Amino acid sequence: MNREWWSSTLLVAGRERRERMDARSYRITTLILVLAVVAAVAIPALVGGGNGASKVGVVGSDTAALTSIVRQAGAVLDERVKVTAFADLAVARAKLRAGDLDVVYVGGRELLLEQQPTDGSGDDKARLAGAIAQLARAPARPLPARAQALPVRGLKAATSLSTRLTGMAIVILIYLLVFIYGQRITSGVVEEKSSRVVEVLLASVRPSQLLTGKVLGMGVTAFVQVAALLVAFFATATAVGSSLLDGAAIGVVLVGALWLVLGYALHCTAFAAAGSLISRESDASNVTFPVVLPLLVSYMLSFGTIFGGSPGTFFTLLAYFPPTAPVASTTLYATGDIGLVEVAIAAVICVAATVATARLAATIYERSILRTGARVRLREALRATGGT
Amino acid sequence: MLELHDLHRSYGEVAALDGMTFTVPAGRVFGFLGPNGAGKTTAMRAILGVTALHSGSIRFAGAPVDVAARRRFGYMPEERGLYPGMRVLEQLAYFGRLHGMTAAAARQAGAELCGRLGVAERLEAKVEELSLGNQQRVQLAAALVHDPELLVLDEPFSGLDPVGIDDLSAVLGERAAAGATVLFSSHQLDLVEHLCEEVAIVDRGRLVAQGRVEELARSGRPQLAVRVVGDDGGRWADALPAGAARASTRDDGTVTIALDDAALADAVLDVARAAGRVEHFTFQRRRLSEVFRESVRRVPA
Repeated sequence: MNREWWSSTLLVAGRERRERMDARSYRITTLILVLAVVAAVAIPALVGGGNGASKVGVVGSDTAALTSIVRQAGAVLDERVKVTAFADLAVARAKLRAGDLDVVYVGGRELLLEQQPTDGSGDDKARLAGAIAQLARAPARPLPARAQALPVRGLKAATSLSTRLTGMAIVILIYLLVFIYGQRITSGVVEEKSSRVVEVLLASVRPSQLLTGKVLGMGVTAFVQVAALLVAFFATATAVGSSLLDGAAIGVVLVGALWLVLGYALHCTAFAAAGSLISRESDASNVTFPVVLPLLVSYMLSFGTIFGGSPGTFFTLLAYFPPTAPVASTTLYATGDIGLVEVAIAAVICVAATVATARLAATIYERSILRTGARVRLREALRATGGT
Repeated sequence: MLELHDLHRSYGEVAALDGMTFTVPAGRVFGFLGPNGAGKTTAMRAILGVTALHSGSIRFAGAPVDVAARRRFGYMPEERGLYPGMRVLEQLAYFGRLHGMTAAAARQAGAELCGRLGVAERLEAKVEELSLGNQQRVQLAAALVHDPELLVLDEPFSGLDPVGIDDLSAVLGERAAAGATVLFSSHQLDLVEHLCEEVAIVDRGRLVAQGRVEELARSGRPQLAVRVVGDDGGRWADALPAGAARASTRDDGTVTIALDDAALADAVLDVARAAGRVEHFTFQRRRLSEVFRESVRRVPA
């Protein structure tokens, strides 16, 4: 793979990239995806208002004491609180119903939430109410400074709903981009075969150059799109001061970006090999189905894991199996079931599998690309000795 | 100079190339003839490396052909192939660059060729928007854009109108005069006869005749065409001297006579003059189509 090899390969990649990125459909889909990211990040932050500060109404005679307890509870949970005193319980209840308040603390009697918490853990509002309830048992004594500094640590990493949702969004993105760009690689290969331009090309470049250039060019196209989405994510999150920027969500975004690259790298050559087996666009879905099947399975199972409780052993194993790892590993990282070490192990396995897949795919591609007409059987392509 | 030596390639039971051997000299337009299925396309694809040979060797300019050498070749395959959605000039520039040209040089050469081949106004059109004839011209431009040292064109004239044929003939002649080796296949034998200085005729994967068109035309038994005024049946030729035989008689009474030896022409003339006034008496040049038919004549099973 000397300079001459690369110069032709990069020419092929450049043509591929230009053809895709100059297309109007590419600009339109990128724009739509960017707008979707902006909306997904901005709308919860803006509608949620107060930028993460919980609004607590207090009802009771000793307003100062009640307010102090609420503030302490906020300090323990490391949450900002905005306290409003109400003379009339009915008014406070009405505000709670309207969503203007998150919690109402009725001094010496009860804590009100808009909705009954579904289980013990609950969401942010229930946690705040729980903390207030704890502190309300000993309202007379101010909390010692040391107690406020005690760290609260979970045995698993924090997995707030927003982190899980971020994980889900990224899993969808990984699945869609690998699927869409993979299909485009296949149809690009088929187009070269069916228009017979491949014979002119192969008179001056090697099949390995054509294959490499094609997946590189398509990869650049895909990653420009992903980069646009990441920029949109960070710019919007910064602009609206989204809570996604401070928590575990940012880690999920970065791990997801890694898996997106690895997932594309693993699958792209297989899609090209699949395309080389056929001569008609209409056969494409038949040959690409086996390529996307593992990814599809992990994609469908990932939703249950994100919204359900602990992942099953099967799904955990999928996080190390290269074709399913991009989706499964991202999912488990988002739910806090695995850490960076496990992600790194799965990534190394995936890279090794990528190299092996590329070798095999190149062999199939080289042996099938000039054979037109009937679909080339995979076994034939692997066994053939200089087929054309 | 391109040398094909003892090429073998079979598809299952069928031998497409069965020991084909011939040499294409540089600086000449060289015609590659043969009936359908004779192995022309397989041989051309083997030269470009898109078909693997079972045995045999191909050398260009004295060296075995490799990937680097093929960058100096220009190829027009039997099954035309261009990117349908790509613009003409962009496409030509791409092919030029794949053969090692700079972007600017490739664009310039592509635009010039389109001018020569009559598609100058369609540089910014997509290939799929062009008529088939114009697609063919662009395909030719793609084979020529990098000024190749060897041109291998599979049926380059099929589908072109007479103006296109003239344009392409002129371009091929120029390239050959500039020292390039030009090999093209065709079934249009009159065109080949007019354009080529030399041809190879192949059949069933082997060479059956090769030579300069002029020599092939004079090869074989000499033939006379003779017409005697008033004898529309050519009956005077019933009494020909030994070694001369009537080959055919045309409607106007012209008799073609095959001679064992050109010297017998005088004796034939004497017989004709004795029969009446001789209106037409020439040695007949064989047409390339006759040479072709004779070379590939099938032995009945």
